[in-house]
Amino acid sequence: MRISSNVIYDSNVTAMGQLQARMLQTQQQITSGRRILTAADDPVAAARALDISQSDGMNNQYAANRQAAKHTLSVVEANLQSVTTLLQDVKTAAVTAGNGSFTDSDRISIANELQGRLEELTGYANSTDGIGNYLFAGYQTRTQPFVDTPAGMGYFGDDGQRLAQVSASRQISTSNSGADVFMRIKSGNGTFLTQAAAANTGTGVTSAGSVTDSTLLKAGHTYNLTFSVGPDFPGGPDLTKYIVRDTTPPAVPPGTQVLPDPLLPPPVAPAVLGVPYVSGQAISFDGLQFDIQGVPTNGDTFTVVPSANESMFTTISDLIDVLKATPVGASLTNGLNRSLNHLDNALNNVLTVRSSLGVRLNEVEALDVEGENLGLQFRQSLSLLQDVDYNKAISDLTMQQTALQAAQQTFAKVAGLSLFNYI
Amino acid sequence: MGSNLFTSALSGMNAAQIGLSTTQHNIANVNTPGFTRQEVQISSRAGSPFGGGFIGQGVDVSGVRRIYDQFLSTQVLQEQAQASYLTTYYNALKQVDNLIADPAAGAAPAMREFFSAMSSVANNPESIPARQTVLSNAQYAVNRFQAIDQRLTNISDSLNSQISGSVDSVNSYAQQIAALNGSIKRAIATGQGQQPNDLLDQRDQLVSKLNLEVKATTLRQTDGTMSVFIGSGQTLVVDEQAMSLQMVKSAIDPSKMDIAYRNNNTSVTLQQSSLRGGNIGAYLTFRDQSLEPMRNELGRVAMGMAMGINQQNQAGLDLRGQKGAALFNVAAPRVDTGVNNQGNAVISASIADLGALTTSDYQLKVNGANNYTLVRLSDNFLTNITGALPQTVDGIKINLASGAPVAGDSFLIRPTANAARDIAVMTNDPAAIAAAAPMRGVASLANTGSATIGSGAVNLSPVTIAFSDPALPPQTYTVTDSSGAAAPLTGNYVAGNPISYNGWTTQIAGAPGANDKFTITRDLNSIATVAMLAAPASTNVGTGTISPASVNIDWTTPFSVTFDAVAQTYTVTGAVPDVSATPFAYTPGSPINLSYNGWTAQINGTPATGDVFTFEPNTGATGDNRNALLMANFQNSNILDNGTTSVQAAYSQLVGRAGAKTAELAVTSEAQNNMVTETIKAQQSMSGVNLDEEAANLLRFQRAYEAAAKALQVSNTMFDALLALGG
Repeated sequence: MRISSNVIYDSNVTAMGQLQARMLQTQQQITSGRRILTAADDPVAAARALDISQSDGMNNQYAANRQAAKHTLSVVEANLQSVTTLLQDVKTAAVTAGNGSFTDSDRISIANELQGRLEELTGYANSTDGIGNYLFAGYQTRTQPFVDTPAGMGYFGDDGQRLAQVSASRQISTSNSGADVFMRIKSGNGTFLTQAAAANTGTGVTSAGSVTDSTLLKAGHTYNLTFSVGPDFPGGPDLTKYIVRDTTPPAVPPGTQVLPDPLLPPPVAPAVLGVPYVSGQAISFDGLQFDIQGVPTNGDTFTVVPSANESMFTTISDLIDVLKATPVGASLTNGLNRSLNHLDNALNNVLTVRSSLGVRLNEVEALDVEGENLGLQFRQSLSLLQDVDYNKAISDLTMQQTALQAAQQTFAKVAGLSLFNYI
Repeated sequence: MGSNLFTSALSGMNAAQIGLSTTQHNIANVNTPGFTRQEVQISSRAGSPFGGGFIGQGVDVSGVRRIYDQFLSTQVLQEQAQASYLTTYYNALKQVDNLIADPAAGAAPAMREFFSAMSSVANNPESIPARQTVLSNAQYAVNRFQAIDQRLTNISDSLNSQISGSVDSVNSYAQQIAALNGSIKRAIATGQGQQPNDLLDQRDQLVSKLNLEVKATTLRQTDGTMSVFIGSGQTLVVDEQAMSLQMVKSAIDPSKMDIAYRNNNTSVTLQQSSLRGGNIGAYLTFRDQSLEPMRNELGRVAMGMAMGINQQNQAGLDLRGQKGAALFNVAAPRVDTGVNNQGNAVISASIADLGALTTSDYQLKVNGANNYTLVRLSDNFLTNITGALPQTVDGIKINLASGAPVAGDSFLIRPTANAARDIAVMTNDPAAIAAAAPMRGVASLANTGSATIGSGAVNLSPVTIAFSDPALPPQTYTVTDSSGAAAPLTGNYVAGNPISYNGWTTQIAGAPGANDKFTITRDLNSIATVAMLAAPASTNVGTGTISPASVNIDWTTPFSVTFDAVAQTYTVTGAVPDVSATPFAYTPGSPINLSYNGWTAQINGTPATGDVFTFEPNTGATGDNRNALLMANFQNSNILDNGTTSVQAAYSQLVGRAGAKTAELAVTSEAQNNMVTETIKAQQSMSGVNLDEEAANLLRFQRAYEAAAKALQVSNTMFDALLALGG
């Protein structure tokens, strides 16, 4: 075949150009460390790398979110730990105050000390994250949540819980509303509250009681337990009996007019005519049970009301009031019992919140490990997709270099061959 | 006899000399582009008869011909046109490819930064620095979108000047070919049919250059002239006459230049797709099939992000407790009125549904009154629109803003073309980020039950009002929430009476027909606050009208839920419309879903009698991050392509597509260049100069000359001998 002299030059130049272009590409890959210099080098991998970078970026963001959540949760936890210690101290003080050898002035000095603890508790409830955002105000972090009002400690926050996106599919709450921590504490045993009337003169002391059969409970009903002391027949021995009455007005069908009923509500079965009282014996009706110890006098009254929410502040200030009122005997015991019961409830509530904080912290820690593993995977995938394999690249470069050298040397030889050299 | 010897030897010397000159010419032109080697055509002279036969008379030079193969040359032209097309296309696209996938310069990292900053706001909604970072990163993302769009615009602008340069070259080549046609025609005439080889080479070279600009076909006429055709058969050169191309503004899209064919002072716009091959073909294809779709795609990403964040921000409360507004500016779809339109209609367009939005441009053709054809230009899919505008196709609401269209008018609608260019951050106030949700649920402290409220969400799902048959009185309407969160509402229709649902109130007047529907949907283009657009369905047969066209849900109307645990019912007060008269039943222990006044919430647990839950405006909620979480999670929400693609995914698709096309062109253009090399090699093996061959020829003709001269010397000696005999 004829070869045109120009073709010898042209094809060599083209071939060397291509070799040089390839070498440049390899060299750029080596210097940048990236296999994909532009999307065209590997379109699928380039788009995939973008997607993975996106996932990786979000994974990093979740890690940052977890860090922030951990911080917030720890701050709340530290606060609630102080609250726990405080409540335990108050409880100790309440137990101490029940010491029979204590005088009124001793109790008043305890009350004064408790007043200080109450203010301290208010301080904890109004604590901030260090830059002026209240921890226990729900969404309204710039509003002081707990303010002492004439009607008692008022809550001015809301029920908002701040959520944090801690993984792609998991949001956890990083805050607890002040209402949940400090205000929504059920009084009594959680279902009902037994109380001795202030005017009682006997030594009857009531227990907190419990629910024996929840199906028999009449939600929302209040009861009155009245003692009568007197003989069954004239001249007979004095017997102590009690009658329980359901004081909740009966439900009236809508539209019916309710006539005022001047009579006492009928006694609750089985105490139609009064039940003989034995100190410490269970008193049960409508699925609930409690006991009264001591010697009640005629006309002494105890009430059973449904549990309502009582704030920690009310619990402590009630205790202070009990101590300051300098009561004696059963009144003091009843008051202290009630306070101790409510302090236990408050403590339980705080511990429940703290355990849920702990669970959330644990979950965040677990997600941290998962997130790190995921991040590692993303980085590995990204590296596989877009990083240059140095061994391969350098070996490629050497090969391309050899090819280029060969092309240059042979070209010089081929181009040097000419018949003109011999004529 | 002696003279015969002389002439014969002389003819040999002559032939050798011409052979030497031709060889010399070949050697001299070894590097001349387009040169084909020439060869002397010699033949022996017919012998003169004598008794015993014929005696040779020497040699004749009949001509010099070029070694030329029409087939190979045509093939080179074709392959070159294609190679030039692919290489130019590849080089143009490579610029874009480098830009959009760059890890630093692309838009993907900027969007990521924005959402990451939004996530920080969700962690610390009160923090002004965190909010400021969102705004800065929003600006960063906007800058990236604008910069990429600007770069695409620059490429597009430079394309115009490149096309114009190519058109000038085409015109110049056409004139030169026409001029050469004349010279060749005359040379052939004067040379009595001998071919003017070098002129032919020059003309072939011009045709070859022409093919680098645009694919042209040629036809050789008998008189030696060559006719050149381009496009779909338009004559560029015939005989000595050259037509020309020129650039004109596109009649459909005034922002573009089209190529027109100019003949006798009239210019006709060529079908752009008929201009294949060469630089011009590459430029036009790149512009129409790569650059503009990419810009539209980028625009759709920008639009998706801007509109999505705007909508979410509007559905929240900012740091001051005010309703959120749009954070980003969103460009309205661009509508170009056809240059040749006869009517005075002004068409406007807006985005009605991001999910249905494509990246295509559309041509709206007017067929007559209330009769249009909408062409989706990406795949030429036709939609016939009958009935008065506005109407919505592919998520674009097309509206007749003013004037009246005339049949034959056309409009170009480019929904996302300007979106990346015009995206902007609308605020510099960090407080304007609406991190809080507009309402909150509060459980009364006096509640004794164990029920709690979930975090709740706004309810902005589309709502349909459907009418029953007016022939069967009383005519009723049924309002249905498409999400199913709010309970359907049925009522007797009284024209003009207000209809309230989910916190808003509207009025329907006139006589709606059977199954007539009205829809209330989120207005995606609202800037200041959330607005719902009320509109009749296009299939309505009655005369019912709905007003006002825009209704607001403002989340300022609280409602509360009170439980009766004995009857297992709850009543809702404060809802619009009022439902307090009807107690609703619930099952204790299972979640209770509520949706009133534009707000959806869930109550879990067991409520006790008298428990009250209030849903109220979320005032003072500086620490609420619910809406910020939703905005940060927006990057995961598939709002494009009918709920299958997120904005980030749409961007990586764009990168993938650009990369794939560039890669394809890189491979095909390299292959095509190799093809060109091969065809040129084949053509050159026939027509190219080989210096060794020429050197051999040089020796051969030199020897021939020497031999012929020797023959002359011999005949001279013979003649001398003869003379001596005579002397």
